[in-house]
This record gives sequence, structure tokens and C-alpha cells, in this order.
Amino acid sequence: MVSSVAMTATDVYRTIDALWRIESGRLIAGLARLVRDVGVAEELAQDALVTALEQWPRSGIPDNPGAWLMATAKHRAIDHLRRERMLTRKHEALGHELEMEQQTNGGKLEASADDEIGDDLLRLVFIACHPLLSTEARTALTLRLLAGLTTEEIARAFLVPEPTIAQRIVRAKRTLSDAHVPFEIPRRGELAERLSSVLEVIYLVFNEGYSATAGEDWMRPGLCEEALRIGRILAELAPREPEVHGLVALMEIQASRIRARLGPQGEPVLLMEQNRALWDRLLIHRGLMALGRGEGLGEARGPYLLQAAIAACHARAATAADTDWVYITALYDELARLMPSPVVELNRAVAVAMAYGPAAGLELADQLAAQGSLASYHLLPSVRGDLLAKLGRYQEARGEFERAATLTRNARESRLLLDRAAACRR
Amino acid sequence: MSYMLLIVEPQGQRRLRSPQEGRELYERMLEYTAGLKARGVLLGSDSLRAESVRLDMRAGRRSVTDGPFTEAKELVGGFFLLDCATREQALTFAAECPAAQWATIEVREVGPCYD
Repeated sequence: MVSSVAMTATDVYRTIDALWRIESGRLIAGLARLVRDVGVAEELAQDALVTALEQWPRSGIPDNPGAWLMATAKHRAIDHLRRERMLTRKHEALGHELEMEQQTNGGKLEASADDEIGDDLLRLVFIACHPLLSTEARTALTLRLLAGLTTEEIARAFLVPEPTIAQRIVRAKRTLSDAHVPFEIPRRGELAERLSSVLEVIYLVFNEGYSATAGEDWMRPGLCEEALRIGRILAELAPREPEVHGLVALMEIQASRIRARLGPQGEPVLLMEQNRALWDRLLIHRGLMALGRGEGLGEARGPYLLQAAIAACHARAATAADTDWVYITALYDELARLMPSPVVELNRAVAVAMAYGPAAGLELADQLAAQGSLASYHLLPSVRGDLLAKLGRYQEARGEFERAATLTRNARESRLLLDRAAACRR
Repeated sequence: MSYMLLIVEPQGQRRLRSPQEGRELYERMLEYTAGLKARGVLLGSDSLRAESVRLDMRAGRRSVTDGPFTEAKELVGGFFLLDCATREQALTFAAECPAAQWATIEVREVGPCYD
């Protein structure tokens, strides 16, 4: 037993809380393989947690608390399966129980659990992000099962009432259970599609945190850390998948700018105007490493690797003026072919303007405006205003900035745009 | 948030081990490192050799002293840089570290060096 004497009950509760966040994913994943139901697995894991909360303040924290939780939960799982067998006499369940009792009795529980944990966790990621579930449900379930967040924490992070999240999670678990979704890693044929659904959820969580401002509840920016952690875990579990490394690289590099992207009054600071001394060099380094790992697999680059490569161009430039816009333009060309979207086109227009002059960029932006697909997106008039101003066409630029100001929902941004419009009068 | 785990070990402890024992401990540390990596919290880690050199610049004068430094009772033998949400999490990871059994793990939060 570890120095239980020196620890107060509060210390123990805090440690259990910390431990839960670290271990719950592995715990639930291991249990789900045995009981074949994610919802039941989560309940069993919670039971083990409650047991720890009751026992550890008295007995002290065991030497290997993670293994203690797993062993306790597995005993619960055996009880559960036994009850289930009594009720339904399912042959399958019986088979499982035997398999499990062999593991437990053979004293090999530890070793076998360790070997399997990686695969179990990967299966759990795929289940939580199953295409049967809506994106909202996938997101809530992933944070709940893999990041160990409580319903309340998820609700706070997404600015949604707690009952809504609770209901989403309950429904999601029921959907999975009703559909008898197998606890397995998707086969080669469907792996790419299933993986992209997982990556989408992780990136969505990251962006939700990234868009939070400094004054908000710390749970929101905390989502960035959770997304990064799940992404890094996934990269260890699926090292041969280039897009996983791409997503991790993209998130690491974006996270490296967190300190630089808000000004002293909480106003957003654009990438080109950020103080690069505030960028986190370690995260940039990690991002570049992840990008290298992904590109090193030698397959054609997917959307995440391309976006990461673009982010890396900015990260490598010591000053904004050093940015390799020609290469960024080439990357956007590739991205636009792979994932045609007006927003990508708009970014491409900006890159082209930086690489080949404002007139070339404006031509692309005008094409977009003519298509009308971004009619209510404030960044289109904002970019056009910027390019027109650079070409000395201040009259037209002013109109664009004013239009952009009415389209943005962000008050600070609106003020910034009106200032630029006013500057065009001079 | 980032936390640094510093492995602070008694000076000279390494010399008391046979090469075989040293390698075994090192293997255990590698396993621990793999565990941190698998849980997505490891930002960087390494072990450090015992030999060291000290440098300081005072009034434009560079002075370099080679170790060993007999007055030092301890040395930093390695480090783990972790990305975790709370101090408690960092402590939980520190408690798992095999080196906690023969050295002391100093847990420090990363942050500016002024208040």
C-alpha cells in the first residue's frame, strides 16, 4: 500500500478522479470485449469506481490502481454473465464466461489484459463513432467512454443542457445494443470509411475547444487536450494509417498557436499577425514529427495530411514574410481536388493572392462570389475587401468590408471590419 | 497543461548496479514510457548520462567546470514531459514510474518563471 497515512480522504478522492480520467477508456474497452455491450461495460466500470471510492479512503490506494480497478470490474463482469446465463441460458454467454474464468484462474489476467488492451481500445473507438449514430451522439459517447468525462462536463463543454447530453448517451448506447453491433475492428474494406468517421469526431471535439475564448468555462478549451490525447492514442493504435498522423499533426500545430491567437482584450489575432514567439515550439515539433510519420508511409496524402502540411508551412516560417505561399498554393490545389468545397477555394484564393499577387487571388474570389455558394459567409466579402484594397480599389473594398461586418455574428470581428471599411475612406 | 517529471536519484547509485541490473531497470522504464505513450500523454522523455559539465557566464566571462561535482548529493537522471489535465493526474502517472522505487520523482508544472 502506498503512503495511505499521509493522504487525506480528499487526496484519495482527487487521485481516484484523476485515475478515472486516465483509466476509464481502457477499463470500459476491456470489459466491452467480455460482455459484448458497451453500455453494460460502462456500468461495470462505474461499479468498480464506486467500490474504489468506498474502499480506498480506508485501505489506501493500491500499488497498481489501474489493475485493481480492472480486476474488480472483471469479477463484476463474471457475476453479470452468470446472471445473464441463468436468465437466458445463452450458449454464447456461457462460452465467454468459461473463457474469462480460465483467464482469471490461470493468474494470467494481467498479461492477457495488457496484450489485448490496445485492440480493445481501438474497437471501443470504432464503436463509439459507429455510423449508426448521429455525429452529436458519437461525439458525446466518445468523450464519455474514451476521455472519461462526466455527462455534466460534456454538457458544459458544448454549452448544451445536461439532460440533453444524458439522453444522447443513453439513446446511443441503446441503439448500439439493439443493433447488436459487434465489438470488432472494421474489416479492411470498410476501414477507411469507418476511420474517417472517427477522425471527424476527434477533429470536431478539437475545434469545439479551439473556438472557445479565454473567458469561457475551462471545460471548453479542455476539449482541445482531450481531442489531442485521443488522437495521439489512436496514432499509437493505428500507426499504419496516414490520416491519423495527419489529424494529430494538424491538431498539434493548431494547438501550438493557442497562446497567440487572442489579443490582450480577448480579440482574435489573425494567423499572419500573431506573435510567433508565443507559439509553442514543442507542439510544433511534435506536429512536424507526426506529419513526417504520416507522409513517410508513402501513400497519397488525404485531407488531414494536406491540411497539416499547410499548417506546417506556417509553423516553419520564422516570420509571416517567410511563408512559402507557392507551396501552400500547391497544397490547396491538391486539397481542392480531393475535397472540393467553397471554403477550401476561398483559402486557395488567399494563398494565390499571397503567392502571385492580389489580382490573381481576386479573380478566384470573384468566381466564388459569382457562384453564390458562400453568400452568407462573412469571410468572402472580407477577403475580397482585403484584395480590392491592396489593388487600390478602395471604394469597392469599403462596400465589401461593410457587407462582411453585417454577416459576422462575432461583435469584435464586426468592429474590426467596420474599422477597415472606415480606413478605406481616406 | 504540461508537467515535467524529473527523476532525482542519489549520486553514485548507478555505479552500485551491475550492467545486467542496470539494463533490467532501463527495460522497465522503457515499458513505463510505452504505457504513457499508449495513453496519449507523453510529450517527450529521455534518460540522462551521469557525466556533466557546468557552464556559467558572469560579467562576460565564460567559466566551464567538468564534473563530477562532489558536493552534489543528487542528480537528475531522466525526465518525462507529460500533457495532462491536473496535478493529480501527473502524480498518478508519477506513482506508476518504476524509478519512484529507487529515486524521487519531482513533479513540476510547466509555466513562466516569474509570477
